[in-house]
Amino acid sequence: MSSPLTPPAPGRVLTAASRAEAHPPTRRRRQPLSVHATYLLPAWLLIAAVVVVPLALSAWMSLGNETMLRSGRFIGLGNYTNVLTGDFWPALGITLVFSLAAVFVQVPIGLALAMVLNRELRGTQLYRSVLLLPMLLTPVAVGLMWRLMLNADTGVINGVATMMGIPGLNWLGDRTLAVVSVVLVDAWQNIPFVMLLSLAGLQSLPDAPLEAASVDGATRWQSFWYITIPMLTPVLGVVVMIRIIESIKLFDIIYILTQGGPGTATQNLSLLNYRVGFSFMNTSQAAALGIIICVVLIPVFWLQKKVNEQ
Amino acid sequence: MKALKKLSGHAILVLACIAALFPVYWTVLSSLKTRIDLFAQPPTFWVSQITWDNYAQVLADPEFIRAAIVTIIVTLASTALATLAGALAAYGLVRRGRFGGRGTFDGVLILIRALPGIVIAVPLYKIVVDLGMYDNPGTLIVVYAAINLPFAVWLMTGFVQGIPYELEEAARVDGAGQVGVLVRVVLPLIAPGLAATTIFVALMTWNEFLIPLVLADRQAKTLPVYVGGFVTSRVINWGAMAAAASIAIVPIAILTTLVQRNLVRGLSSGAIKD
Repeated sequence: MSSPLTPPAPGRVLTAASRAEAHPPTRRRRQPLSVHATYLLPAWLLIAAVVVVPLALSAWMSLGNETMLRSGRFIGLGNYTNVLTGDFWPALGITLVFSLAAVFVQVPIGLALAMVLNRELRGTQLYRSVLLLPMLLTPVAVGLMWRLMLNADTGVINGVATMMGIPGLNWLGDRTLAVVSVVLVDAWQNIPFVMLLSLAGLQSLPDAPLEAASVDGATRWQSFWYITIPMLTPVLGVVVMIRIIESIKLFDIIYILTQGGPGTATQNLSLLNYRVGFSFMNTSQAAALGIIICVVLIPVFWLQKKVNEQ
Repeated sequence: MKALKKLSGHAILVLACIAALFPVYWTVLSSLKTRIDLFAQPPTFWVSQITWDNYAQVLADPEFIRAAIVTIIVTLASTALATLAGALAAYGLVRRGRFGGRGTFDGVLILIRALPGIVIAVPLYKIVVDLGMYDNPGTLIVVYAAINLPFAVWLMTGFVQGIPYELEEAARVDGAGQVGVLVRVVLPLIAPGLAATTIFVALMTWNEFLIPLVLADRQAKTLPVYVGGFVTSRVINWGAMAAAASIAIVPIAILTTLVQRNLVRGLSSGAIKD
């Protein structure tokens, strides 16, 4: 437990198990199980009311033809075929794009910044405080800030481009650029998180292997690639996992920036489900889509479980 | 060579700081600009004539005042609920080891953590409307608490594991009951953990957007939904929007900078164990 690289903490749950082994079972069972179960009661009540019951209801609703305006009757699997022949696949595709972009843009930049911060130059504390700011801001406000700046006619980004003689771009109105804009804003807000966790990981690394490598004449690049990165893998695994999950859930920023548009260019699964349920008011179809999303995400749940148990 | 390296390090960090700060600076600046300055091309990076009109407009809106009050109440109550339920669950999990139903509990936590909120929001909307609890701050308090529960449990688990079981046993030998052990032994030891968890959960609660967007209308409208409302209207009032965004970000920015040490410790302890 005191080694600097014990598993990451969503993974702590697991260290609990290993701790259980460290204590003789007789000692641990001195308190009856029922006492311990009561500790979990408030949590279970919350979970049942907000997650379990609604999901079960969702499964039931998905088999009917209910809308927000009228109650429905049982129709079978029609909603599922409707969803799977509709906008589902493009939405799944763009969800994947945002996820990959989140990992491949945010992790390298965040890690690089953490490496520089880890050099402990003068003023590192101040740099770190400033660099953390974006991740602390309300995502909705972040969306508004960037909408202000990315506006094609009045935004400062095109304004500066024009000053320098570059023609401005239609950031939120062009299908490709809208995707780029969402990726950019998501990165702006979340690189600090990657940086923070990477920095904590770097600071927890033992010095000895790096010193040994430098004595043996390894270049900085070799040390980084063959020592730092492998030692940092558990932390990076957690970071990547969190970023994948959060980017799949991405909603606020897209809702504010583009509302899924132009057309359906930035409509990920969350946005699509929102649109079906609350813009088109097709409750049953939204429920079916929700169930499909649960199924599609099974690999993600599984991965998260693996990371927890690591 | 060494000096050059140092210089390049500073250069990278300064550039990154500018990238992090500029959007915030620009938003606050825009909120202080007059209508004409706001749309000036080329853009002006300093404001010669400050106007408070945009703020006056937002602050005079009764809907804004209500949203602010609702958000504060909901954040306080929901954070307390999530942190308490999470801390108790973490304690139960750690002390029980792996007996009885923990796999299910862990599985549900992962589900809540990884599932897009909209998937739960669709059936929740129906339930809440049927129960007559639509547009009710109490509903938001409970729903947010459940959504933030995984974080609270995971963060607290680490802190609870830091308490030696022997201490609790010693207290019991001295005649303390279970409540006494919790209050006099466990609570003081996990206080820093509770602080970190509270700050983190409060931040997430304050920022929540999708749930109030779906489950609330006028009575329980929260600040993020109010602020977000500026872009959905047909004609965007950019000045007021910048003012509303500034009001939403500046207090949080100041507050979180003040408690950054706690926040950083809480977040990092999530990934690394010293």
